[in-house]
This record gives sequence, C-alpha cells and structure tokens, in this order.
Amino acid sequence: MNSIFVNSKDVFLDIVNAKDYIQLDRVSTIYQALKNSIKKPLKMILLYGKPGTGKSMFLNKLHKDLSSSQKVYLYQTPILDESEFYKTLAQDLFETKYSGELNFTQFMKIVKSQDNEEIPVVLLDEAQLYSEVLMEKIRLLSDTRTVKFVITLHKTEKEDIIAKEHFQTRIWETIELENASSGELKIYIQKKLMKANCFDSANMFTNKSVNKIHKITNGNYRDTNKLLYTLFDLYAAYERNQQLSSVKTDQVSNKLIEMSAIHTGLIHA
Amino acid sequence: MLNIVDLEKRWFIYKLKSYIPHLSILISLIVIISIFLAFSRASQDISQLTITPTVAPIIVKKETLPVKEPVQATPKAVVKIEPVEVLKQEPQLLHDNNRVKLSPSLGFMRKMQGSVQPYYKNDLEYKGQVQEQAPAPITEVVEQEVIVPLSTLEAEPEVKKISIKRQNTQNDIYEIIARFKKNNNPALSLFVAKKYYELEDYQQAYNYALITNKINKEIESSWIIFTKSLVKLGKRDKAITTLEQYIKQSHSSGARILLDEIYAGKFK
Repeated sequence: MNSIFVNSKDVFLDIVNAKDYIQLDRVSTIYQALKNSIKKPLKMILLYGKPGTGKSMFLNKLHKDLSSSQKVYLYQTPILDESEFYKTLAQDLFETKYSGELNFTQFMKIVKSQDNEEIPVVLLDEAQLYSEVLMEKIRLLSDTRTVKFVITLHKTEKEDIIAKEHFQTRIWETIELENASSGELKIYIQKKLMKANCFDSANMFTNKSVNKIHKITNGNYRDTNKLLYTLFDLYAAYERNQQLSSVKTDQVSNKLIEMSAIHTGLIHA
Repeated sequence: MLNIVDLEKRWFIYKLKSYIPHLSILISLIVIISIFLAFSRASQDISQLTITPTVAPIIVKKETLPVKEPVQATPKAVVKIEPVEVLKQEPQLLHDNNRVKLSPSLGFMRKMQGSVQPYYKNDLEYKGQVQEQAPAPITEVVEQEVIVPLSTLEAEPEVKKISIKRQNTQNDIYEIIARFKKNNNPALSLFVAKKYYELEDYQQAYNYALITNKINKEIESSWIIFTKSLVKLGKRDKAITTLEQYIKQSHSSGARILLDEIYAGKFK
C-alpha cells in the first residue's frame, strides 16, 4: 500500500488531463466566457498567457465539454508542415482523404464544397509554433466562416507582436490567462489533493506554507505542480529512510519546500 | 531518485546565503548606531566644554560687583578715608544742619529689573540686602565729592558743602510702575503707593494701595497706606471703617495703632 506522500506526489504529475481540471472562481468565469465566445459568430478566439497558466488544460476541458454537443477538434501538438496541416484538417473536419500534397488553394476548394450547417471548431494549442505564413492562412481560412479556430499563444514579447499583427485588427475574442493568487493557489492545491482523496496531505497546507510556495512559483500552475511533486517525493524519501521525525508532518515543512525548489531549479542555491 | 543528503547540503548553503543580507543589514545598523552614539557623546563633551567658559565670566562679574574695587583704588589717595568718615556722620548732619537732606536712592531698583522678580517676602529680604550694601553707593558719591574738596579743602575749609543730588525719583516710580504692569507683583505696587504717599500724592498712593490690596489682601502695610491716604484725602470715616474691618479679619496691631491715632486725632 502506497503511503499518503506517494499518492500525493502522483496528484501533481504534470499531465494535461481534462478530468484533473480544478474549478477556481476566476478560472471558471474565464472558462464560461470562452464557452460563450464559441457560441458567438466569431471567426477566431485567442487564448493567451504565460507558460503554465493553464491554457492547454483550458483547451482540453473545452474539448471534453463541447465534444458531446458539437464538432470539436483538438490539436495539442502543432502540425508544422503546411500540406500535412491541410490534409489533417480535411480528413478530420470534412472526412476527405487526400493523397499527395495539398496546398491552401486546394484545401479552400474542399472547404467551400462542404455544405455543413454546423461550423466545426478547431482548437490549436501552442500556436506560437506555427509559421507566420501558416498563421496568415489560418486567418484567411477563418475569414470564410466555415471553420472556427480557438488558438492558444504563449504571452512573450514575440507572441505579442504576432498577436498584434494578425489578430488585433480583427474582431476576435481574446482571453488572457494569468497566474494564480496565493488564495487561489491554496484552493488549487487542496482541491487537487482532495480530488485524489489525499485529505491528510491537503490539511498540511497552511496559509504560511502556501504563501511560501506562491513566492517561489509566482502562482504558476506548472511550477507549482513541479514543486509539489518533488515535495511529496522528498517526504516519501524521508519516510523510506525513516527520517520523517526530523521534518514537520503536521504542516508542510518550509525546509522541504525550499529543498524541492532547489531540486527543481526554482531556487538557485 | 532524490539524493537527500546532497539536497540538504545545498539547502544549508542556500540558508546561509539567505542570511547574508540580514546579517549585513544588522552589522551596518550596529555600525551606524555605534557611530551615532560616539558622535552624540562627543557632542555632549563639546557642549560641556562650551558651558564652562560661559560660567567663568559670570564669576568674574560677581567679583567685580563688590565694593572691593573702589577700596583697592584708594591707595592712590589715603584722603578717601576721610570722606567716608564724613559720610558716616551724615545722618547726624540731618539733625545738626538742615542743609543736607538724605533720602533713599532708588537706583537699586534698576538692578532688580535684571534679577529674578521678587515677591513680597523677597522684597523684604532685598531691602535687607540693600541696607547691608548701602555703603557702596555712598562711596561712589564720596568719590565725586572727593574731587572737589581735594582742590578746595585746603583753601576754603569752611565752604565745605555736601550736595547729594537725588535724581529722578519720579522716573524711578515710572520704571517701577512699568515693571509692575508687566508682572503684577504686589511688592512693586506697594512700593509705588508708599513712594507716592511720601511725595504727598495721596490720590495715587490710594490707587496703588488699592491695587495692591486687590492682588494680595493680606499685606498690612498696604492697608495702612491705603487708610492713611484716605485720611489724607479727607475720607476719615471711610478710613476708619476700612481699618475696623481689616482689624477684624487680620487682628493687625499696626492697623490697630493707626486706628487709635486716627480716633485720637493724632493722625490727620
């Protein structure tokens, strides 16, 4: 039987899975806004934020929620080859298999030949990896209103320029995701642990310890997951070595938080 | 697999490093405080040093005040002893020859301006001091006198005149009135009342005695001057009733004697 620390550790494995989605007030509001935006006759929706703010999780959750009611296609990994991109879309969206090269003009013909009442929604994760040319073609494709795109972008200086050039001149919805506040982070951690029935571990997180974690991770969900995974890994290691008495177990030890941060590179020692 | 031992070492180094800013702030604070303390001590020492020279001149001044200086100056001419003897006989001269009329100098009142404001009791003490120091002004006068006789004494010993000019009695009163207006000291107003009574300005004497009584109704001499002035102003009855009431309250023997004198008609 695994110890509570091992179970807790597994909770924070950095996997994007819609069932692990944690409902937070602010995030829920944003998510609802995104869902509403999809219902609008918008051509493209831009979801942007710093790495680790939950964009991928959002797309996953959206895909999971909408897939039962409408045509939604999620592409977590960018298809960098242009022809491959069109071919994949043609096959998935319009069930048209194409052998050989498929260029934009040919793909547009396929799109126009379709007479679907329902507009398919394409979710493109990590869109900053697509080339500028391809992004321009995606924009042109969305202008036909035959395909609706939801794309996620990392908010860096470079991506800001892309966003400015390609999206801001259009009437498109833009939604920004931000890091969690200290309070939100506490709810996130505890909800995540309680979802996995790790109630004892959830109770270990006091405001003080969460503040410490927040200070280290700046509220970034991915960094927090990384840190807490290492933290519980450390607890498990102390437990194996029968040194658990040397660290706090009633609440999260600051020493172990710092050690985890050092190990994960969040603190440079 | 986590290497806990290595991680703990790294954590220990990290903790040590994290204390460096706190430690440096603490050390700098200690240094600043110690510098400040040293500086404040140094400034205290300087202030103590600066105080001592200020005390010294005061002592010098006190030394200059006594009559010693004129006495030291006397070796120039032994003759100075003679006028002192003459002056000591002056009160007798008042009785023998009516030519010389002595009255108390009010010059000391000017000195009072610079000193601590005396109250009624202090005034009495002050008067005592004045009596003790009385020879001082006399010698000053004598010095002036000596100059004249030295040239004339031998030639005209019979024309020997002692003329002491009593200057500005009225001005003295005004000065004291001005001082009284500043500090409302009943001793001053009483002095003014007495002075006006002596100058036979009974209306003013009455006024200032009344003011003194209002400030302090337990000064016997003030009530006496007040009632005396009333008598002099022709308000004998009022003076009698005032004295009777005052005697009832204070059982003053001085007031009783005055009342008897008024009744007997000795005091008019």
